[in-house]
Amino acid sequence: MAGRLLSGCGRAAAVPRALPAAPGLCPRRGCGEAAALRAMGFSEEQARRLLGLQPRLGPQRREAAAAQLLLLGLSAEAALGLLERSPRLLRMPTEQLQERAGELRRLGLDGGQLQRAVSRCPQLFTLPRRRMAAAVRLLRERCLFTAEQLREVLGTCPAVLLEEPRLLHHHFQYAYFRMGVQQKEMVKARLFRMPFAELRNRHIFLERRGLYQTPHKGQTQTSNPKLKDILQLPEKDFLASLAHSTPEEYEVFKKLLAREEKEEEGEEEDRDVLYAEEDEDVDSKGSKRAQE
Amino acid sequence: MSYSLQLKDLWPSVRLGLLCEQKYGALLNNFSPVDHVTQELELLNATDFVSEAPRKAQRWQRGATAEEAGRGESRAQEGSGEGRTVMRAETMTQAEMSPPLRASISSNIKCYTFPRGDITRFRPARPDSLGLLDYYLMDAASLLPVLALDVQPDDFVLDLCAAPGGKTLALLQTGVCGHLAANDVSLSRTKRLYHILHSYVPKEIRETVSVTSYDGRDWGQLGGGTFHKVLVDVPCTTDRHSVMEEDNNIFHKRRTKERQMLPMLQLQLLMAGILATKPGGEVVYSTCSLSPLQNEHVIERAVEIAETEFNISIHVEDLSHFRTLFQDTFSFFSDCRLGELVLPHLTANFGPMYFCKLRRM
Repeated sequence: MAGRLLSGCGRAAAVPRALPAAPGLCPRRGCGEAAALRAMGFSEEQARRLLGLQPRLGPQRREAAAAQLLLLGLSAEAALGLLERSPRLLRMPTEQLQERAGELRRLGLDGGQLQRAVSRCPQLFTLPRRRMAAAVRLLRERCLFTAEQLREVLGTCPAVLLEEPRLLHHHFQYAYFRMGVQQKEMVKARLFRMPFAELRNRHIFLERRGLYQTPHKGQTQTSNPKLKDILQLPEKDFLASLAHSTPEEYEVFKKLLAREEKEEEGEEEDRDVLYAEEDEDVDSKGSKRAQE
Repeated sequence: MSYSLQLKDLWPSVRLGLLCEQKYGALLNNFSPVDHVTQELELLNATDFVSEAPRKAQRWQRGATAEEAGRGESRAQEGSGEGRTVMRAETMTQAEMSPPLRASISSNIKCYTFPRGDITRFRPARPDSLGLLDYYLMDAASLLPVLALDVQPDDFVLDLCAAPGGKTLALLQTGVCGHLAANDVSLSRTKRLYHILHSYVPKEIRETVSVTSYDGRDWGQLGGGTFHKVLVDVPCTTDRHSVMEEDNNIFHKRRTKERQMLPMLQLQLLMAGILATKPGGEVVYSTCSLSPLQNEHVIERAVEIAETEFNISIHVEDLSHFRTLFQDTFSFFSDCRLGELVLPHLTANFGPMYFCKLRRM
């Protein structure tokens, strides 16, 4: 199928390259490209929209990118939507798109999962390979998710690959050590779907209310609320059924916690500055003596 | 430490309050020019809860009576009493007000707090041209025992466990103490008391205060029946600090004995306070603990012992009006057998503060 698609571009190549290809200006170009796109499955309207994206771009690129997405199984509308949200994809070489799709498949994302992941997170294509490899390594080697678990994590929270590995690790460690949750539960609860700050707010709120306790070493049974409920309940329900509290109380709590955080950070910074200043003093004294 | 048995559904919110930053009130220093400070604080949206409360209460009262009058008017022309009711509500005389209402109005104490849910902090206190500080930051709930004491002009007042001195300072702010005896057994804490007096109170007023370091339990023998008003703000488990502090926590096993001896000490101090009161005089007992063992039980035992051992009859005064009066500022527990209890709650993170008023008959 790819071959057929690529041969369609041949017609458009007849257009003189000296002129900028403005949409609608050169009817022959427009007709040729639009026809090629329609042959791939785009409607007239969709083709028009697609042509409107990055008009300076050569038709080969445009069609190749669209083709790759269709090959992944995305519908015409979904592929178009993705390209509209992430025009960068259009400029990526086809090989790169193919390669990335392959990598994601090897990680266990396939079919519908891959489609959904890519639709939700177009940056999965543009993410530098080293970054992606680092995130995967972290999840497998440091966080000790099994390959199966990793697959499920990527399927449900593909944005995990986009996270800065240090923050991702911190997020994991918080759930593992501070909340005493194992990998299995993290996967089921879709841990990485919720931003870390929100998780922390909800957890510490429960903890200070006496409703969540970090399990002791070796403790297997706890009466803690399930991570799934903590993460997946909408705020209103979380407050009512899990925390037994009110929105008013939670709002004040979030403000107080944010202030606590800020001041702790400030203290750490002050300590660093203090030590830095001391070093300077020693240096200046030393150099002064040398001068004397 | 868990008060879930006693507080039931309220405990999670109280625990949360104890573990988060507490809220402060700014007790204005009446010995320093206050106008620019009140302006500054009001611009920040803080209000003096002590004077606000009676104003609100009057409005509620007026609202309630006007409602009744309104209903009355529809039954109309029956009696001219209806019309009078509305007018009377607008000008409530002092005599008609509940005692706490009167007390807070006439106390001269001014304390600013930020509204419910507002977590703004006060700036540190600043000295005026004479070197006296403009306000004292404290847990606003600590003022309630002082307001309950309702010091009258020229009263002889005893503050039995005065250090570090917040409540002592508040007593002086009423401006009507005839003489104030401020005592504390701890010399080091008494130093702080001196410091506070020097930072806030001019010399001529300081001279009306006598600071002593006796064991408060001995006071019964030292000055029996000499005071009109006695404040017994006893050492307690200071729940707010205990719940956070790991190292020297009074709830640790090795401090169990100390903790169990506390109610005994508290009882002895209260007895001494009662003995130091004139007949007809009043005692306010207060703690910053949630524990009934340190609160109601001590009161009950003291009343019993006063009766059986000393032939002194004690009447426990009703302070329930405080709950209504100050409900916008504090979160009160509604199920105290005796006395009143301010519960920490994130929207009003003052307390814990337990207080109970006794009259020596």
